Amino acid sequence: MTKYIIKRLIQLIPLLIGITLITFFVMHLAPGDPTALFTDPNIKPEELTRIRANWGLDKPVIVQYFVWLKNAAKLDFGYSYISGKPVIQEISERLPNTLILMSISFALILLISIPVGVMSAVRKGSAFDNIFTVISFVFMSIPTFWLALVFMLIFSLKLGWLPSFGNLVLPVTVMVISGLAGITRYQRASMIEVLGQEYIKVARAKGLPERMVIYKHALRNALIPIVTMLGLSLPDLFGGAFIIETIFAWPGMGRLGVAAVFSRNYPMIMGITVLTSLMIVIGNLLADIGYAIVDPRIRYAKKE
Amino acid sequence: MLRKNKLFIFGLIILISFSLLAVFAHMIAPYDPSEIMENEIQGPSVSHWFGTDDLGRDILSRIIYGGRVSLSVAVVAVAVALTLGILIGSIAGYFGGLFDEIIMRFTDIMLSFPTIFLILAIQSVLSPNIYNVMIVIGATSWMGIARLVRGEFLSLKEREFVEAARAIGCSDLRIIFRHILPNSWPPVIVAGTLGMAGAILTESALSFLGLGVQPPMPSWGNMLMDSQAYLIDAPWMAVIPGLFIVLAVLSLYFVGEGLRQSLNPKEKQ
Amino acid sequence: MKILIKSFLIASIIVSFAFALDHDPNGRLILSLGGEVSVMNPILSTDTTSSAIEGVIYTGLVKLDKHLNFVPDLAKSWKVSKNGLVWTFKLRKDVKWHDGKSFTANDVKFTFDTLMNPKVNSVRRGDYFIDGKPIKFKAIDKYTIQAILPKPFSPFLVSAGMGILPKHLLAGKELDMAYFNNHPIGTGPFKFVEYKTGDHVLVSRNPEYYGGVPLLKEILFKIIPDENTALIALKTGEIDSTGIPAKDFHPIKSVNLFKYDALLYTYLGFNLRSPKFTDVRVRQALSYAVNRKQLIGLVFRGYASPAYSPSAPVSWAYSGDVSKYEYDPEKAKQLLKEAGVRDLEFTLFVNQGNKEREKGAAIIQQQFKKIGVKMNIRVLEWSSLLKVINARKDPKDYDAVLIGWSTGVDPDSYSIWHSSQYPGGLNFIAYNNPKVDKLLDRGRREQTKTGRKKIYAQMYKEITGDAPYIFLWYPNVLTGVRDRVGGLSEPGPAGLMVDIEKVYIKK
Repeated sequence: MTKYIIKRLIQLIPLLIGITLITFFVMHLAPGDPTALFTDPNIKPEELTRIRANWGLDKPVIVQYFVWLKNAAKLDFGYSYISGKPVIQEISERLPNTLILMSISFALILLISIPVGVMSAVRKGSAFDNIFTVISFVFMSIPTFWLALVFMLIFSLKLGWLPSFGNLVLPVTVMVISGLAGITRYQRASMIEVLGQEYIKVARAKGLPERMVIYKHALRNALIPIVTMLGLSLPDLFGGAFIIETIFAWPGMGRLGVAAVFSRNYPMIMGITVLTSLMIVIGNLLADIGYAIVDPRIRYAKKE
Repeated sequence: MLRKNKLFIFGLIILISFSLLAVFAHMIAPYDPSEIMENEIQGPSVSHWFGTDDLGRDILSRIIYGGRVSLSVAVVAVAVALTLGILIGSIAGYFGGLFDEIIMRFTDIMLSFPTIFLILAIQSVLSPNIYNVMIVIGATSWMGIARLVRGEFLSLKEREFVEAARAIGCSDLRIIFRHILPNSWPPVIVAGTLGMAGAILTESALSFLGLGVQPPMPSWGNMLMDSQAYLIDAPWMAVIPGLFIVLAVLSLYFVGEGLRQSLNPKEKQ
Repeated sequence: MKILIKSFLIASIIVSFAFALDHDPNGRLILSLGGEVSVMNPILSTDTTSSAIEGVIYTGLVKLDKHLNFVPDLAKSWKVSKNGLVWTFKLRKDVKWHDGKSFTANDVKFTFDTLMNPKVNSVRRGDYFIDGKPIKFKAIDKYTIQAILPKPFSPFLVSAGMGILPKHLLAGKELDMAYFNNHPIGTGPFKFVEYKTGDHVLVSRNPEYYGGVPLLKEILFKIIPDENTALIALKTGEIDSTGIPAKDFHPIKSVNLFKYDALLYTYLGFNLRSPKFTDVRVRQALSYAVNRKQLIGLVFRGYASPAYSPSAPVSWAYSGDVSKYEYDPEKAKQLLKEAGVRDLEFTLFVNQGNKEREKGAAIIQQQFKKIGVKMNIRVLEWSSLLKVINARKDPKDYDAVLIGWSTGVDPDSYSIWHSSQYPGGLNFIAYNNPKVDKLLDRGRREQTKTGRKKIYAQMYKEITGDAPYIFLWYPNVLTGVRDRVGGLSEPGPAGLMVDIEKVYIKK
């Protein structure tokens, strides 16, 4: 087990280098740079050249990358081109807000999707199952930002029930609706597979009450993939957060990132990309480990 | 099965209608989508079925032309993704070994990115337009297809017909393209359909943020961007393009799901 | 006599009492900011949100009154030497920094020396060089500072208005990363209290302010990036003032509306080195083809003024005696025919992210279509656009561009129109008119306002005759202020809160 964890942790390093390398080069490919902040056309071009040199932006890209990498290893992600504050400080100020949004949303998603998925599986082919299948598909087809706009229109502007910014209710609702479908279907598929297993047939043959079969035997095993689900949903949860935070002006890391992208705030873009990717990678690692612990089949296989 | 069939048919009908609208836009649209008329911000009426926008342009015509944009982006983006995915996946799956290792590492790296953020970052440094949107979406969504194709290749390359082909002296390239690939079409087609659905959603999100298709060329996404300032005054500007996005994506999902079930021999109903 | 004085005293006591009764001594004004604050340092910042905060925390040698005239601020008087080269400023002796230390001429010299230090990332540095030679600052004594110019330069007073930084806190420190930039200390009517990222900036009354004790206790700047959200906040009373989008500019309960001209204009600039635009008749034709009324109606709901010359009507140098190309599509077609041009097609560059320019371009595209001209619109990301128009090559790689200038307080526009400012300056259209060059030089040297006005009037006439730009619009500034706020200045391009220390909240 520990060997497995260590092996995976070591694999993290080339992964991170790959991620940072790609991001850095993409950022620097372009014909523009942070002096894009200076939108006043009255500023003389020589001033921009001088400032670029001061920021070290005139050195070859590969040199800039290694300078960045050296600092990043010390967790020094430089200073934001906009506020002059250390990148790591600004991100840590905003990260908790994003995590709150994501965790509440994910918890609600699980709360709804597990029962619905299980019920759909148990009553496969029934009206219940079919209706919820269609609903799932519809939810998956709704663009997140459009849902956000429509909700804002109805609940903030027309009905005045909720403020359009600073409040969690709408962002969470949008995030939950967007993420619900995928997990519900996954849960359903997992439950269907488990219900088709031999030992379930055996349990039924033994005469056990149906409810016991479902909840005691099948459910436990069908829940195992939920752990993997957490890992797999992370990229989407983060992605959703970026857009939703921007629309609802929620002061999280996502909005910080989108603003950084628009203003070519390289240090901030690098910091957020690296940290988000790191969280996704670690999330997947934890999911894999959790899966290995929880699923006896894998655990025993590893022992060999 | 019957139920699913109904959904599949529904999706297919919508898709075909949208495609026809896209191809024959210039004949079907009542007005020129850029034409500025004297009556801006009008609700749906007899002369303008979907109303007019803030510059007095006919929304129905813009929706039709916008559909052309959204569908073409979806098709090209998926074509790019499929090309990349098939190429990368088949090399990894067929040759295995170090190739496989390196390629899979690279795929893992790409999968670890918060994709939408990466796309945003890329688009912000380019001057966004319909063409680089197609390429960027394609270049960031090939991973799933690559994995799929690799999986197919890993299982198929040990089969007898491959052995036989090798025995006759077929080159690797020939084996890949003439023998193995044709047998792995089914999951790839399904993946392609789902990819198109995703591409439409991504393009509209990008255009909504101003980093996708640029006005005045209409796209369902950038029409939504323009609608934000008029949310209260002209809610139809926001509601209608969104509904079309939902319809297009939904029909792609229904068609994809239907294909998956019919092409997959293991699925019993 | 004694009775007169006594009654006067009593009267003023009563009046000030009444006045005191009217305003709330603990009044907190809530304003909105459209985005995050960057660095709160006037020599470094380039965005409008930071300058809003700097405007209440820092002061400069001079400031603008509501008529855009320069009046004393930190400098109580100034004079220019006969040859126009030496400006001597006599400073106030009663000014204290927010941390209690005294302000002296050394702070002024320090500020400008730092600004001109090439290692400091200040974009304003170029403003203090005239024809490549620096302006030198000398502290004559504790309260006298001199600026020695390499050449006579009337627009200098604009640069003299720069906010002054405290030497005792910043000397020897690296300015770009300084802690100070997020915790500023200035000489202005309000002191910095706190900045909560993504949420607000709070400043409080500086009781030692040399211009009089401010009537407001605090000002809270709330960060609200979306203008529609800000409007809602204004309506509910969550904020006291904000800009109002043109389409929403109608009576709002408990809110006073103000409309005034801004000091900027938007234009369509032709690349004069492109063979498509060398014939002045083509440029004039395109100018005649633009229906500014329709443009302004659709984009601004009427809240903008049509522009026909490179000077905003609120500027003292404005002259109406210019070549106006008012909407006349028949004339446009005729001119094109005369010039022998058929099927003219060109590409217009617009920068991404500016809704008004985007819409304007779309409308102009349709208007040109009516006279048989095909204009393609290409949206470029801002710095990509800058790269194209600032490239040091000749000819540059563009046909036409839709962009704007803020005219600034001084009418000197040397950098935009002088032939020497191409290809390396702001004259990216390659405008070259020797008469205009001479007028620009004279305008900088002439010391009297009346003299300069005559010179610039002549210049505008020349420029508009050449039609190098299609001048499009001067936007209006539309603001709403809740009626509980008093002490506002007359609406004008200097804004509504010219003397922020006189603004108050009614009880």
